[in-house]
Amino acid sequence: MGNPGYKYFKGEDWIDPTPPPSDLPAVDEVGSTGAPLKSASFFIGSVCQEYNEDFMLCKDESRDPKHCLREGRKVTRCAMDALQKIQSKCQREFQMHWQCLDIKNQEFGRCREPEKAYNECLFSAFGWKKAVPGAPENRPQIHERIPLTD
Amino acid sequence: MPVPFESIIPFAIISGMFTVTGLGIHYAHYKRNDGKPVRYSLDDWDRKMLLRDKQLTGTDRGQVDNVVAPKEFKVNSVWQVHHSLRNAFW
Repeated sequence: MGNPGYKYFKGEDWIDPTPPPSDLPAVDEVGSTGAPLKSASFFIGSVCQEYNEDFMLCKDESRDPKHCLREGRKVTRCAMDALQKIQSKCQREFQMHWQCLDIKNQEFGRCREPEKAYNECLFSAFGWKKAVPGAPENRPQIHERIPLTD
Repeated sequence: MPVPFESIIPFAIISGMFTVTGLGIHYAHYKRNDGKPVRYSLDDWDRKMLLRDKQLTGTDRGQVDNVVAPKEFKVNSVWQVHHSLRNAFW
């Protein structure tokens, strides 16, 4: 079997020869890389919960990419909106947190001090509180448990 | 008679070889990861995220926190290319 795309592959200058059709509504793409997205992940998840759930239920019906384009556009726009809000109010703390995550293998447990300042800033700016979904209700959340006991 | 200096030479050579190997590996990791510590315990999500980061910034470990991606991002995905030809390590 031949290698698809080999004819066009020129090292790093790859441009997709089959872009999406122009009759679809245009949507910008999220421009953040992995560490900022991971840093903002819980807040994007809490703000955009309805759109994300819609998208996942839609994907559950069918894995065909054409089936869920509309829900996907909504998810993208909501995530961009959440990121825009974070950047507008808490940019300094956000940067400190994701730069720490980038160095520490993107593990939350190794970056608690910047995360504390970041959560406080977001709570005072928007009232967002980071909560791990599915955590037991009667125990404190793991990012508030310092020092760790039992 | 005290310890002759000739007997230390092989130990020095062996330690030198370990040092050179260690420094060489450290330098290789440094170059490959833009000076950041190596990413370990990568699962499929992390590998695909590294591929996306490469699409956005040109290197696996480059990070940007823009809200909107540049317009080249829509068409420069190497996902269509056979995996042995992409510059990916998996």
